[in-house]
Amino acid sequence: MSEAVKVVDDVAFEDLLANPYPVFKRVRDLGPVVKVEAANIMMVTRFDDIMAIERDPETFSSVNPQSLLNTVIGPNLMRKDGDDHARERAAIDPSLRPGVVKRCWADPMRVICDDVIAQIEHKGEAELFEDLAAPIAARALADILGFDGVDWRTMALWSQSLIDGSGNYSHNPEIARKAKKAASGVESAVDRMLPHHRDIPNPSMLSSMLQADPPQTVEQIYANIKVAIGGGLNETRDSILTLILGLLQNPDQLARIRAEPLLWGQAFEEAVRWISPIGMYPRRLTRDVEISGMLVRKGEQVGLCVGAANHDDRRFSDPEKFDVFREKKSHLAFGAGSHFCAGTWVSRALVSQIVVPTVFERLRNLRLKDPDRVRIRGWVFRGPTHMPVIWDV
Amino acid sequence: MPTIRFLLADGAELAVEAESGRTLMETALENSVPGIIAECNGSAACATCHVVLPEDIMSALGPISEHENDMLDFAEAPREPGSRLSCQIRVSDALDNVSVRIPAA
Ligand code: HEM
Ligand code: FES
Repeated sequence: MSEAVKVVDDVAFEDLLANPYPVFKRVRDLGPVVKVEAANIMMVTRFDDIMAIERDPETFSSVNPQSLLNTVIGPNLMRKDGDDHARERAAIDPSLRPGVVKRCWADPMRVICDDVIAQIEHKGEAELFEDLAAPIAARALADILGFDGVDWRTMALWSQSLIDGSGNYSHNPEIARKAKKAASGVESAVDRMLPHHRDIPNPSMLSSMLQADPPQTVEQIYANIKVAIGGGLNETRDSILTLILGLLQNPDQLARIRAEPLLWGQAFEEAVRWISPIGMYPRRLTRDVEISGMLVRKGEQVGLCVGAANHDDRRFSDPEKFDVFREKKSHLAFGAGSHFCAGTWVSRALVSQIVVPTVFERLRNLRLKDPDRVRIRGWVFRGPTHMPVIWDV
Repeated sequence: MPTIRFLLADGAELAVEAESGRTLMETALENSVPGIIAECNGSAACATCHVVLPEDIMSALGPISEHENDMLDFAEAPREPGSRLSCQIRVSDALDNVSVRIPAA
């Protein structure tokens, strides 16, 4: 007989938001599957367990018609399996492949980065969340989607509202209203842009979906564009800030990377391992199954805590340390399995090849204005929310 | 059952019996072949299942898709003429006794 799932009921939701890593550690050591009351979910936190689960999508399904995500944005590729998923994924991949990123998006992303930095460079001081990371992430994403002329604040508001709406488990009416408004904003923008992308095929995601075989329906386009807005903006923004933070706190590592720019890629992977922008995503069981000896029933949902797996001390030594030069091992920040992040190569290029190297190049002697005032928050989505810096002008 | 000869990055050889119809990547994972990570579990999205095949059998394996072709340029180990994503290759008799090299990253 298998053991009963242990329950953690003395952790407050606020503890998770403030810093989930101590909770993750406790849960990881308690067992392979642990119910955390504050989050109302059964957490899977060990690296090997998550990898094994991701290799068995028939048992651990992404389909969940009742999920808030589906309610807020409509049936979308993140909540489909098998061929249904593969077809929708194939319709967006032509915009996001690494070679396309290099040929089509690197130059516009560089222009955006230079433009945003030019607006702050002379000031000697900035709040990097609002003045750098958010506008760059939003403008780059707008380009890739094919959303010409949508300003970055609108993109950012849509992204936040859709994310908040998909996590609105307490059914707060204000959050629901904002999510609805964002959804209809995105739909009107798609309606406005589609004729252009139909007339002039181009590498953007909107255009790829129209060129796909079979072409995607308007419903599919609406939903998957919303997935990309909710899943492609905040995470990129957060990883820009996390990489900068890790390097500002570890000047010796920064010096080595600047002397050997090929290391930027490795630095980025360490940043998203260290503070993973997406800390958890769900799967639903299609049959009774044991996860490392722990029986979980058909129909139950488990939260795959990749943030926890990326700090699993069975795999990473001193996991809480930012160490670009640690023994090289793959992490789970982009997920694993068929839903492996579609935007992986976009964010690698934008963050590690363009934005962060340029920031350190152009903002001389960059440093935290007040190390105690840096704020990092969230558990399902986590990143620095406040990062004032100064540099020499 | 075809025999696949995995040539590991450290020079060792691991010969395994493979089931026709499975992918080379699945065969590698089932036999714990080091160096095949397969983060995307066969969706041609991660390029962590890169292998190098003898050039003379490439034509027997069918064409490389545009997506795989793009991805191969970004695998960690540099692309070679015999480079493929092992998740995109099905085991068949054409691979019997063929050396499948895992390139050093
Ligand atoms: C550092 C930045 C990013 C991180 C850490 C990240 C993380 C993730 C993770 C963990 C998943 C898997 C979710 C699951 O399996 O349920 C995912 C899926 C996805 N991401 Fe990202 N993401 C990032 C950037 C982006 C960008 C820039 C885009 C768009 C251009 C994007 C688009 C997507 C899409 C469309 C999916 C769904 C894929 C599918 O279901 O097949 N992401 N991302
Ligand atoms: S397993 Fe990811 S590309 Fe083959």
